[in-house]
This record gives sequence, C-alpha cells and structure tokens, in this order.
Amino acid sequence: MVYYVDNAVGPRIRLSAQRVRGAFRLSVDELSGQRLYSCIQCGMCSSGCPMAEEMDILPSAIMRLCQLGLEEEVLNCKTIWICASCFMCTTRCPKGIDIAAVMDALRQKALAAGVDHFGPDQIPPEQAAEVPQPGLVGVYRKLAT
Amino acid sequence: MGSVAYYPGCTLKDRSLQLDQSARATAEKLGAELVEVQPWTCCGAVPPSSQERVMNLVAPVRILKRTRDAGETILVTLCDFCYNVLKRANYRMRKDAVLCTRVNAYLKEDEPLRDYEPPPSASSAEYRGEVRVLHYLEYLRDEIGYAALAERVERPLQGLRIAPYYGCVMLRPKKEIELDDPENPRIMEDFLLALSAEPVAYPYRNECCGSFLSVSSSDSSARLCHEILASAQKHGAQALMVSCPLCHYNLEARQDEIAKAFPGFEKIPVFYFTQLLGVALGVDASALGFERHRVDCRPVLAQKDFVA
Repeated sequence: MVYYVDNAVGPRIRLSAQRVRGAFRLSVDELSGQRLYSCIQCGMCSSGCPMAEEMDILPSAIMRLCQLGLEEEVLNCKTIWICASCFMCTTRCPKGIDIAAVMDALRQKALAAGVDHFGPDQIPPEQAAEVPQPGLVGVYRKLAT
Repeated sequence: MGSVAYYPGCTLKDRSLQLDQSARATAEKLGAELVEVQPWTCCGAVPPSSQERVMNLVAPVRILKRTRDAGETILVTLCDFCYNVLKRANYRMRKDAVLCTRVNAYLKEDEPLRDYEPPPSASSAEYRGEVRVLHYLEYLRDEIGYAALAERVERPLQGLRIAPYYGCVMLRPKKEIELDDPENPRIMEDFLLALSAEPVAYPYRNECCGSFLSVSSSDSSARLCHEILASAQKHGAQALMVSCPLCHYNLEARQDEIAKAFPGFEKIPVFYFTQLLGVALGVDASALGFERHRVDCRPVLAQKDFVA
C-alpha cells in the first residue's frame, strides 16, 4: 500500500513499507553509531537548537524522516548544511541519542553524491586570512567533498 | 610546580597569538611552565562524528602518542577545539578496542614517513588513551586549585563585571568531555571569583555563537552572537570572557558586521580568560596581546586602574 500525505505545512511525502524497511535507516544507524528507532519524538533537540528557526526541517523531524526511510527528502534539506554542530541536541536528548552524529552522518551521505555545499569562492579573502582555523576546517570538512 | 606538557595548536600560533602569549605568561607566574610537546602537528580541529571516519583520528592520536612517548601523563591545551578533538579521540581509543588497533596501525605506517622516531625510553605498545587531556582552565581548577590561585592574585579584579561565555565544544558532548555540567557550568564563574571579579549571570552563556557558520552562513552567526552579546550587556556586563578562539572571532572580530545588521548595538570588549588571569597575577599588559583585539579592552581595565 502506498499512502500520500498531503501536508499543509510542507511538500507531499510518499510513505511506503518498502521505504520504511529499506536500507537508508540502517545505513544512517551504522554511520552515526546511533539507533534511530530510540527516538521518541519528544522535540527537546528542536527546542534547544540555535539554528532551528532557519531550518526547513527541524532536527526532530529529520529523525522521524530517517526512521521512515525517506532518504530523498532528508538529503535534500537545508537543515544539515546550517547545523552548527553545537551538540546542544545531543546533550538534551532524553534517550541519549547523539543527534549531532546523525547530522554528521547525513552530511557524509549527501556529500557522497559529489556535490559541494561550500567553496573557496564563498569566503571573502579578508575573512579567510583572519578566521581561526577551526572555522575553515569546519566548513570544508562538513560542507564540501 | 615545574613544567607541564602543552599542545598549543595551529590557531594559537598565528590567528589567536594573544591566547598563547597570555597563557604562557600566566603559567610562568604560577611556576608551571607550558612546554610544547615537540614535534607537533595539527590536531584536525574538527572531531569526526561519523563512525566511518577513522583516518580523522590519526591526527589527534599522533599528538597524544607523542606525548606519552615523551614520558608525559598530562597534556594541557588551550584552544577549545583542540581540547574537544583530543579529549574525544582519547575517549574513543579507550572505549573501542578495534578502533584503537586500527588507528595505531595507521600511525605505525605514518611515523617513518614523518622522520619521527620515538625516544628510546618510549613504550612500543599501542597508544590506548593513557594520557590525560586537560584544558588550561581545568588545570587551574584541578591541579593548581582556585583557592591557591586566589592567593597568587596581586591585582584583585574587584568591581569588574565580566560575563563568562562558554561556547559549545568546551563542555559538550557531556559523556566524552566531562569538564563540567554542560547545562549549568561553574568553572568560569568560579575562576572569575578566584580573581575577585564579578561574574555576570545571563542566559546565553552556553548558547552557540555559530562556530564555523560565521564563514558559511555569516548572517546566522551574526544573529546568534548579537543575542549573546546583547544579553550580556542587558545583565550589566562590562566585558565578556571566552576561551575559544573561534568564539572570540565570532563575538569580537565581527562586531562591525553585527552592528551593521543590528542598529543600536553597542560594542563590548571580549577578553580571553588568560588575559584576565594575567592582569590579576600582575603580568605586564604589554605581554597580554591586547593590541590584537578589534574592540579595545583596555578602557574597561583602565577604568578600574588595572592596566599597568
């Protein structure tokens, strides 16, 4: 059976048993070292996230989409590229899930497609000369192939 | 006290030189010389979160192994990112035997390529997380003790209202870092109290400054930093105090951009904790690197006659 969810807030999402049972969720589990099914959708991560107001899909929703095997929707979102890796979500999760690690795993999967989400042409040279190294390493490691 | 093994990291040697300078000056005053573990290489700056990224652990473990080979049991570091990477690399090496073997195998291949020969006294055994990684603040709190530190203060910072800003990577993730309670930390407030300064309580002290987003999503970082700075100001702070070089850059060096995006914002100086420590211990202001700041922090000190 295939169900269409007509969501007034977002795009139509196609759920199916095939997608739910597919390889995506398990691959995210393995890559992140976390168990996505542990997530009880409490929303603590989303409420603590400093970038939540700018995200198209909230962290707790990302967890849910991953649980449902919705790879395309997750890997095409804006959220994972504006996550600051601040670990507030990980600290507050009552189930002990390292959500920041899940975000990192999703970035890694998305980057495997070979598309950069950041390039040297996007930094003003003055900033590149001044910003401390972790700033540069952070963007290149997490946002570029 | 003697000397203690120290890992400065890349940032402290150029872009955040004042943090290294002021730390060394304070350590000397306290009789605990910070001695760099030579030769050292970059720690990698960003810890790998993904289970597949084993190669990213080679850089930090190389440093830790060299520290152990040099016969040291403690490694002090200042840069919050270095601290986070080294501590988390150590954690994984201790917990995961398979990973430990793999990283050591990579290092074994790597060492001859770098003309690195372990000293004859070094153990040939695998590095398994024997070295303790301490943040300099942690070293001050746990090895020297804040009470002992308070006794060495020559210039108590009485009446100086400082808002401590923790950032993220110094405290989180809790399980791997265990420096302090990430939701309600005290290490910076207690440090300020030891110096007789007045720590300002405000709600944004451990909210992210944006980290590397100041490069890729700079408006977002400006928004986050504005919230932090404005909150500190609202609660009566004369200045902020940080440990992390990237936080310092986001909160201080970018105040022009923040002022542009948020009209009405008034600039506020941001100290490194080591600079405040230096002033309190009687280190000459010229050795503390104040000239490298965009927002001059000397007027706040001069107000209270703290500047030598």
